[in-house]
Order: sequence, then structure tokens, then C-alpha cells
Amino acid sequence: MDRHRTDRRDVAGHEFDGFALTRRSLVGAGIGGAALAAVPGALAQANPPPASPSQPGALTTAPVTQAGLGPRLTLHAIDNFHGTPGAGMVCDLSIREGDAYRPIKTVTTAANGRTPEPLLSEDALKVGHYELLMHFEAYFAKTGATLPSPNFLGLVPVRFVIRDASQRYHLPVLFTPWGYSYYRGS
Amino acid sequence: MAGITTHVLDADRGRPAPGVRIDFSVREGDAWRLVKSVVTNADGRTDKPILPGDEARAGQYQLEFHIDAYLKAKPGVTEADIFVDNPVVRFSVFDVKQHYHVPMLCTPGNCATYRGS
Repeated sequence: MDRHRTDRRDVAGHEFDGFALTRRSLVGAGIGGAALAAVPGALAQANPPPASPSQPGALTTAPVTQAGLGPRLTLHAIDNFHGTPGAGMVCDLSIREGDAYRPIKTVTTAANGRTPEPLLSEDALKVGHYELLMHFEAYFAKTGATLPSPNFLGLVPVRFVIRDASQRYHLPVLFTPWGYSYYRGS
Repeated sequence: MAGITTHVLDADRGRPAPGVRIDFSVREGDAWRLVKSVVTNADGRTDKPILPGDEARAGQYQLEFHIDAYLKAKPGVTEADIFVDNPVVRFSVFDVKQHYHVPMLCTPGNCATYRGS
């Protein structure tokens, strides 16, 4: 467990704008996202090499700035309990159709708390009511946190509206085992 | 005091949010059963506890906050500003002897909840 936290702090330590340009360059060169398909359980690996495809390094993660990019929905999960990115969080994205939510995809956040690719981008981003179901209880179980069972928060629905499919939407989710907030970021 | 209570706060103004409908449901099998709908009073709270302590049972509960109607009625807020959909908070009552205060802080672009007291 200590190793997990150390690894994530290392990643968190690179979460500042000084790397933004480098990251954009890498993404622009086509080596930023596709090679980094989310690998559930990546955190369980003991001390993987930084360039391992299953453990994105700080320089090959999603860009910090979204300026100049097309319409997209991006996620950033931030663990305010440990003070780290929310890595390895399983999230089910769905869209409301009538009275029900239709599943679109399930993603797992990478070491930086983001997903290797936007949740939705370009034509896949449609106007509608969305739900991101976040697996809090499984996440905190992996961190070894001592919590009630069942935890206060288990599967957490994050509901939001995309009203203009030509815009960029950033969805940061700040969470602890006892609460969370989310907002439209940029 | 045990049971479940809530408080809806308009975090844009730092004021209580009155007149917000809250649907309270309990998990039964694979479905959520609506127990009751209540409306917040001038203090942003409900006149009675959502769930009185003597009725508390361990289980999964849900509060759906209908903030959309509240936000749309606010001066200066246009629909285009509203990113947060009516928030749904699902939580476990794991010890019926404890009190579960579950506030909702909302603005058009942000919402937050936590276990309060």
C-alpha cells in the first residue's frame, strides 16, 4: 500500500502546468493516448518502469490544458482523502433515454486520475443528460482504508447535462469516502 | 439523534435553498422504492427528519434533489448555465444508532455532498 501511495504522489507531483506543452506535443504526435489504453489493476503492479504502457508516465498523460481542442468530455478524479489523483477508479458512463440510463462505456482512471482518452469527443459528444457511476467502495477497498462495511458511499452517481455539443466539458470529481463534489471545470 | 436529515444550501448565495423537492427512496432488491417526497422549508431543511431515528433500518438510501427547478427560477441564471443535473445521493446507513446528515450544496455548475452532523 505504501508503494501505491508513493507512486501516485510521484505522479501528482508532476501535475503542474510546466509540463502542459510537452504533453500536448506528445499527444499531437499520436503517442499520448492510444498506446495508453486503461489497464485495470495497473496500480497493483510493483514499481513498473515509467514508460510501461500499463503505467503511464507523467509526460505521456492527458494534457492539462484543453485550449484549442475540439468538443469533448474529460474526467479528472481527485482523491481528497489521500491527497492524490484518483487512480484506478472504475466509472460507468451512461446517457438518459426516457426514464432509464443507457450504458455507453466503462472506463478506469489512469495513474493521473484521468482517462487516457476523453470520455466522449467530437461526434460522440451529444446533448443529453448523463450519469457517471463511480465505484467508490471498490476504489477505497484497494487503498486499504479502514472504513465501515458497507461504506457510506458505494456506487456514486454523478449526474450532469451536456447542453451544447460544440463545447468542451471538463468534469472534475473531488472525493473522499464521506463526501464528494463535482463541477464543470475547464 | 439517529435517522436521516438533510439541508439544501444555495452555495452561490450562501443562503438556504427553499422549495426544493427531495425524493427519498430505499433500496429493495434491485430497485429503488420511493418512500416519500418532501420540500425544503425557508431554512433549506425539511420540517421533519427525512427518516426518524426510530424508523431507521440498515440499508441503502437515496436522496434526489430537484435543484433544476430551483436554479431555473433564480434571477440571473439561464438554462445554459446549469451543468449539474438533479443530483442523486446514494448512501448506506450502516449503524442505525448513528445520525446521518446528508447536506446538498449546489450552484448551477457545482454540487457537493458529505456526511455532516
